[in-house]
Amino acid sequence: MTQPFLSIRKLRKAFGAFTAVHDVTLDIPKGEFLTFLGPSGSGKSTTLYAIAGFQDPTSGDVLLQAKSLLSVPSHKRNIGMVFQRYTLFPHLSVAENVAFPLRVRRRPEAEVKRKVADMLSLVRLESFAERLPAALSGGQQQRVALARALAYDPPILLMDEPLSALDKKLREEIQAEIRRIHRETGVTILYVTHDQEEALHLSDRIALFRDGRIEQIGTGEDLYLRPATDFVAGFIGNSNFLVAEHLETVGSTSTIRLADGALVSGINANGSFVHGQKARLMIRPEAFRLERAPNNAELSVEIVDIAFYGERRRIVARTSAGQEIDIRPTSSAVATHDASPGQRQVFFDPGGAFLFPA
Amino acid sequence: MLLDYDRLGWLKAALLAFTALVAAFLLLPVVFIVLLSFGSSRWLAFPPPGWTLKWYQELFADPSWIEAALTSARIATMTAILAVAIGLLASFALVRGQFRGREVLRGLLLTPMVLPVVVFAIAIYAFFLRLGLGGTTVGFVVAHTVLALPFAIIPTATALEGFDKSIEDAAIVCGASPLQAKLRITLPSIRIGIFSAAIFSFLASWDEVVVAIFMASPTLQTLPVKIWGSLRSDLTPVIAAASSLLVALTLALMIVTALLRRKLQT
Repeated sequence: MTQPFLSIRKLRKAFGAFTAVHDVTLDIPKGEFLTFLGPSGSGKSTTLYAIAGFQDPTSGDVLLQAKSLLSVPSHKRNIGMVFQRYTLFPHLSVAENVAFPLRVRRRPEAEVKRKVADMLSLVRLESFAERLPAALSGGQQQRVALARALAYDPPILLMDEPLSALDKKLREEIQAEIRRIHRETGVTILYVTHDQEEALHLSDRIALFRDGRIEQIGTGEDLYLRPATDFVAGFIGNSNFLVAEHLETVGSTSTIRLADGALVSGINANGSFVHGQKARLMIRPEAFRLERAPNNAELSVEIVDIAFYGERRRIVARTSAGQEIDIRPTSSAVATHDASPGQRQVFFDPGGAFLFPA
Repeated sequence: MLLDYDRLGWLKAALLAFTALVAAFLLLPVVFIVLLSFGSSRWLAFPPPGWTLKWYQELFADPSWIEAALTSARIATMTAILAVAIGLLASFALVRGQFRGREVLRGLLLTPMVLPVVVFAIAIYAFFLRLGLGGTTVGFVVAHTVLALPFAIIPTATALEGFDKSIEDAAIVCGASPLQAKLRITLPSIRIGIFSAAIFSFLASWDEVVVAIFMASPTLQTLPVKIWGSLRSDLTPVIAAASSLLVALTLALMIVTALLRRKLQT
C-alpha cells in the first residue's frame, strides 16, 4: 500500500482527567475533502488544532507525507487555516492580508503581487483589494481569509467551522464557492462543522465524531444509507426508531417482531443479537411509502397530521403501540394515495431499515 | 430603563444645572489663573486693572523657567517610553497569562494609583537616598515610571482584551513566528491603546509635583517643582503664566489624543 498523504495515528489529547480525543486514527489521501462532523465537545476541533499545532497531543502522531509534524512549530508547518471567527488583520488592506504569508516568507515583490491578484480572483474579490476588513461583510471576510490561507500553496487547508457566523443563505453561497475552490486548486481540505447538511454538501468523506472517537467514517451516502450505529443514524438526516424485538439472524439479515406483533424479516442487523433481545428499528421518514410494493413490510398507523413541505409532505402518524413517527412521502405520492387523518397501512423496504441494540 | 434620561422632565434641567455647577467649581480656578496671567496687577488682583503679556516676557527671559520646562519634558518623555514598554509586557502577562497570583500582580501594578502619593514619595526618597539616586534624572524617571504604570497598563490591557487572539494565531499559521505575529499584527491592532498609554504616562509625569519635590535638587527641577518653589518665595504673576503654559500643553495633548483616536478608529 502506498503512503497516505496525511496520516493521524492514535492521536490522544487529555485535559487533566478529561480526555477530549481518544486514539483517533485516520488516513487522508491527497486532494480529499474530509469533514470532521460531530456535536460540540466531540473532539473534532481539538483534532484539527493538533494538526495545526495549537494543541500538543498527549500521545499519538500526525504524519504529512510520512514525516511527523509534531516537532514542527505552527508557523513552520506550512498549513493553511480558516478560523471560525473573523481573523483578518484589521489594520491591513485586503490585498495586504493576502500578501502577509508571502511577505513573512520574503518572496520577491513581483511574485507577491501576482499571487495576491490570483488569489483575489479565485475568491472573486478583485475589486476589494484596497478595502480594510471592517468595510467587508462577514461572508467577504471569510473569502479573504480563504484567499490568505491558500496564498502560499499549502498542502493542507484546515477549516474550523468557517461559516458558522454567517446566515443560512450566505452559508450556502460560500459552500458552493468552497467546492469550486477545492475543485480548482486540488488542495487537501480538513473541514470541521457541527452542521450535517454542510458536511453532506461539501465532503468527499465524513468522519463522524462522538465523545472523542470516530464513530463512523465514509462518504455521506455511506453514513446516511448504511449507518454503523444508532448515533450515526440519529445524527445524519431524520430517523424514526421503532421499538422491536429480535427473533433470529441468518447471515446479515434478521427477523424481528414489532411492538404491534407484526413480524418483519430481511432487516439489516448492526451488531450481534440474541433471540428475544430488545432492539430499535431505524427507518428514514422518506423510506415509508403509502402504496404497497413487492417484498415491503407494512405497519398500521393512525395519521394524525399532514403538512405541506414543498416537494414533500410531512405526515405525523402514531403506531398502534402508541409511538409517534415521521413520514415524508413526495407530494405527488400524496396526491394519488389518500393520506387524510385516520387509520391506514404504510409500507417500507426492510432492506432500507436498520436494527440497533436498544 | 427605570431612569431614562429623556423622560426625566424637570429633573433633567436640575441635573444639567448641577452638572454645570460641578464643572464650574472644578474649572473656574484654572480659568482664573489663565486670566490673571494676562492681568497687569503685580498682586494678582481680580478683576485685573488692565491686560498685558509682560509676565510671559519675564517667564521666557528667565533661563531657570526654560530649564525647568525642558527638564519636565525630558523626564516625562523618558517616563512615557519606559512605562509604555513595561506596561505592554505587563499587559500581555495580565491578559494572556495563566499563572497563580495573576490577580495579585494586577493589583500590585495598579497600587500607585490609589496609594497616597506622599507615602510613596517618602518611601522612595529614603530608598533612593541610600542608592544615591536622589536628585538624579534616573531617580526621577524611575519614580515617575512607577506612578505612570497604572496609566500605561489600563489602556493597553483593555485594548489587548478587545483583540481576538485568533487573529494572532492566524498570523502564526500564515508563517509568522510568535514574536513576528505580535510585532506585525497584534501591536499595530492595539495601537490606539498604546498611544493613549503613552500620552497618559507622559502627563502623569509632566504635572506630578509631590514625588518631584522629594526627587528634586537645586540643579534638577521640573516645572511643577519650580512653580511650587516660586510660590513660596514670591507671589508673582509669572507663576500664573507658567501654570497657564502647563495647562495649555496638557490640554493640547488631550485634544491631540482625542483627534487621533477618532482618526484611527475610522
